[in-house]
Amino acid sequence: MSAMTTVATAIPIGIAFGFLLERSGLGDPRVILGQLVLRDFTVIRVMFGAIVTAMLLVVLGSALGWIDVASIAMPPTDLGAQALGGVIFGGGFALAALCPGTACVAAASGRRDGVVAVLGIFLGTLATPVLWPALGTAALAAPREGATLPVDLGLPAWTVVLAITMLGIAASMIARRVEHPTEGVWWHLRAVEAGALVLALGFAVAEGGSASEAPSVDALTLAAWIKEGRAGLRIIDVRDGLDSTTYMIPGASAVPLVRIASVTAKPGETIVLYSDGGAHAARAWERLRARGVSDGRVLRDGMAAWEDEVLAPRAPAVASDSAQRRYQRARALSLWFGGKPSLEPASGAKPPASARAKRRRNTC
Amino acid sequence: MNRTAPRPYADAGTIGVALGVVLFTSFVVAGRGLGASGAFAAAAGSVLDRVAPNAIASDPTLADRLPAGIPISGSWIVIEIIGVFIGGALSAWLAGRWQERHAPLSAMRVMRAGIGGALMGLGARLAYGCTSGLALSGGALLATGAWLFIPVTFGTAILVTFLARSRESPVP
Repeated sequence: MSAMTTVATAIPIGIAFGFLLERSGLGDPRVILGQLVLRDFTVIRVMFGAIVTAMLLVVLGSALGWIDVASIAMPPTDLGAQALGGVIFGGGFALAALCPGTACVAAASGRRDGVVAVLGIFLGTLATPVLWPALGTAALAAPREGATLPVDLGLPAWTVVLAITMLGIAASMIARRVEHPTEGVWWHLRAVEAGALVLALGFAVAEGGSASEAPSVDALTLAAWIKEGRAGLRIIDVRDGLDSTTYMIPGASAVPLVRIASVTAKPGETIVLYSDGGAHAARAWERLRARGVSDGRVLRDGMAAWEDEVLAPRAPAVASDSAQRRYQRARALSLWFGGKPSLEPASGAKPPASARAKRRRNTC
Repeated sequence: MNRTAPRPYADAGTIGVALGVVLFTSFVVAGRGLGASGAFAAAAGSVLDRVAPNAIASDPTLADRLPAGIPISGSWIVIEIIGVFIGGALSAWLAGRWQERHAPLSAMRVMRAGIGGALMGLGARLAYGCTSGLALSGGALLATGAWLFIPVTFGTAILVTFLARSRESPVP
């Protein structure tokens, strides 16, 4: 961003931000204290109103192809650091009855406690390196960039969007009930809330419909395709943080999710996408489909399935003919790929489903 | 303008929707959300870079959170915060709310604001953001960390307020 663009965007956006915070009373510590004693719900209503509005505009904008969510900078996720940081921050928030943004507004509107809070924030930030060892930060892990609730919880995006929208509307209704206990119709939907609900439901119908389910290919079929040298087969590994020591499916090329939009398909090409479990690959498929790639598929259960079914297949626990035939096929493919098929049928033949699901959620 | 009777604050629901539109505009035109503590981090980072350059550079977990060696004059978030000051002052002045805030404050209130501010500065660095950059902007983008930070922060703040409530109001 050039210096001119920086100023041209940052100044008006900052002015609008500060103006709206002051308008709503959030530059006034008495209003924030009212929230913390659960009498005045201005803070929650402004925050949830803004979060739900911006979230739905982002959903709408990306559904219509106006914006690319991947290009928006997003705070990373480090749950341990953010829980501890939240406790320290929350304690400071209670004492000051101002947060960093509203402290700036309080100072700007002439409150001396706002000026003192602004100085305190600066000094606290400045003292961070000194206080760092006392916080046990040696145990801090690397933050995860771009981690989102739908991926981490293994839920489709529309369920999370709908849940947050309904949570925001419920918070607003409870706020009306507490602030105006004599008003009889606190439970009615305001027009803007009804509009938000319609948008969230519309997104749910559009996304939840079967049309957006990624076509998949199972690990053994993919192994057979590679072995027979199927024409037009292209395999893409979308996992993050791959290096030269990471095992990849033979013939695959690495294209992280953030760069997947640069992939173009040649006519007649079949693109198979895989990640650890499948959530990243499904998102990559959605982006490729949005760019007009028609024959894209997702490796069902991703690298986990490749490991279980191709690299280390186990003999079936029940020796039915069909199960035996399937194992023999898997065994032949496994040996061809340098895997280690096991003749020993484990009691369950497969690791428990919960362990598989957990691994998938942790890694993808 | 009537100085004795400042205008009442606007409806919180309406302001919330308007702030959401501003946040979305920021996503689109600047490629990032709103923020506040990030500006303090940029300022403190550039000071520390001059005073004790090794304090940040030697620890990757700190270097990740305190941007050093970047001129703050070109930092988007620092310029945005200057805008926040202008917008806040403008709104207070237009609503006739500027004068009333020169009321004298108790030493206790000033101390709470300062210590509370320092704790927020530290906590926001640990958490990669504050109520603006992490909770608001990250929350709208469904960032997992934001949705942990929101209940932890508000839960702690509500708990501390109930435990520390003295007979006199902490905010005059």
